[in-house]
Amino acid sequence: MFEATAQNRRNRKVEGLFRLLFLWMTCMLILPVALILGVLIVRGGPAISWEFLFTQPMNNMTAGGILPALVGTVWLVVVALIASVPVGVAAALYLSEYAPDNRLTRAINLAIINLAGVPSIVHALFGLGAFVIFFRFGTSVLAASLTLAVMTLPVVIVATRESLQTVPLAFREACWNMGATRWQTIRKIVLPNSISGILTGVILEVSRTSGETAPIMFTGAAFFLPFLPQGVLDQTMAMSLHLFVISTQVPDVPEHMPFGVALVLISMVLAMNGISIAFRVYLRGRKKW
Amino acid sequence: MAALRVADLYGLFTNRRLRSAGVKNLTTRPALAPCTLALAAALIAACGGGGGSRSLIQNKGSDTLVNVAQAWAEEYAALRPGTAVAVTGGGSGTGIAAMINGTVDIANSSRKMKDSEIELARGNGNEPIEFVVGYDALAVYLHPDNPIDEVSLEQLAALYGEGGDVDTWSQYGVEVPGCGSDEIVRVSRQNNSGTYVYFREAVLGERRDFRLGSRDMHGSKDVVDLVENTPCAIGYSGFAYATDHVKMPCVRKAEDGDCVSPSVDSAIDGSYPIARPLFMYTSGQPEGAIRDYIDWVLSDEGQCIIYEKGYAPRGDVDCS
Repeated sequence: MFEATAQNRRNRKVEGLFRLLFLWMTCMLILPVALILGVLIVRGGPAISWEFLFTQPMNNMTAGGILPALVGTVWLVVVALIASVPVGVAAALYLSEYAPDNRLTRAINLAIINLAGVPSIVHALFGLGAFVIFFRFGTSVLAASLTLAVMTLPVVIVATRESLQTVPLAFREACWNMGATRWQTIRKIVLPNSISGILTGVILEVSRTSGETAPIMFTGAAFFLPFLPQGVLDQTMAMSLHLFVISTQVPDVPEHMPFGVALVLISMVLAMNGISIAFRVYLRGRKKW
Repeated sequence: MAALRVADLYGLFTNRRLRSAGVKNLTTRPALAPCTLALAAALIAACGGGGGSRSLIQNKGSDTLVNVAQAWAEEYAALRPGTAVAVTGGGSGTGIAAMINGTVDIANSSRKMKDSEIELARGNGNEPIEFVVGYDALAVYLHPDNPIDEVSLEQLAALYGEGGDVDTWSQYGVEVPGCGSDEIVRVSRQNNSGTYVYFREAVLGERRDFRLGSRDMHGSKDVVDLVENTPCAIGYSGFAYATDHVKMPCVRKAEDGDCVSPSVDSAIDGSYPIARPLFMYTSGQPEGAIRDYIDWVLSDEGQCIIYEKGYAPRGDVDCS
């Protein structure tokens, strides 16, 4: 009575096929990541040394280290975070906790989506016009970081808003019923419960900021700079531009050097992400629902 | 691991505070991220500090000059620790635009500023002052297996220029080993490069355009790299970028003229037909640190550096 019919068997076969197909596609996804990491480690690994990380470039950047680029990238990322996280989180809070669903809110949402779609080179030109020339910051860490901040703002806003909305409405209602104001509710209930999602936004921003080349090329990054930036109004070298420069502009760069720079850049991003992810996992473990 | 421990401490702290306030908290509080950032900023500021006072010279422009500019900046940093030169590439157009906007102290250019550009700069209160810092000879690059040893400007124009009719190596009467298709791969530069503009001026003439279908590379070095690996290819680029794995034919100005090989000497004496002066522009007569830097660049010491990089110095210098 329960013997499989021909139809059943066919269904099962098709099922198995699709399962295999989807598995294969998933593996295809891992392949490029594994290849990139593998190639970088094998070919860039030999370049990495204490000296490579902590000395100035020498002999037309074909020898010596990458210290100014390394420090420069940290500067750019940190200043960009300082500029964009408060603004992004505040905007997301308004949109999620205060904003009524009216035309203005919809226009703002549309603007955010469009901002996310603007190509980075357009942001670069905007940064050049706005920060470098109009605000007279010159080509500096400040101008470059603000350009990066504007570029990554939508990422922060969208991630924060989504994470705010995962906090159950019942939590807020319970708080309001106790007579708490909106701000009290946000501070005591909403933010503490959504911090892990906000951190995700920050993680994404760090990854994107440290790798971007176009927006900093016109606004603050230098081809070569014999010193470390000492303030936000200094120009700086940056890892991403340094990688571009030594792979395309400088003759006679030893082959392992560009791979080494790429490896350091990727390790930096992975390390920063790792710290944030660990923090996030820890916070999520404390959720009470 | 370290992050977890920091978070632990933070969690303990907030828990105790909230418990003593009689609140049963749901999770920890936020606001850690900004603190960490401020701390990190303070840390790098501390690491980067300690340089004392220095003057910073912004130097931007030509990709042809960028490697020499970098070598100058590196050498000068060792010589005068009080002055730092920040070098940025991007092309002659980028440097000239920065000069017009007043965002740069010295603009590098591999072409002369146009009158219209000088007008624009003056309109913004920047009077561009021109310095010739050396000469660049553009070399024609061929794959080492290519049997061709000499080319004329006319041949190059027929190959690169709009309306040109040369597409295959057999039209030059040669067979290139390794180039099965016989088709010439034309390697050129992107159209905001000074090298592109100069090649057009010197070979095609001001009015004639490049023909479509060339491979346009984004750096002087990329051109040489591609030609090195492509038997069918021909390209042009600064002769400082020559390697042992490419061939540089001599160039004839007129069909019946002498065929001159690209070299520092032939660039200075003007016999090599595709050589050009390289410029630095300052805004107004340079003073102070900028003046010192320009003077040093033009001195024998600076000129020997440009010579070592494969360009021709402004005049006779003894670099032995």
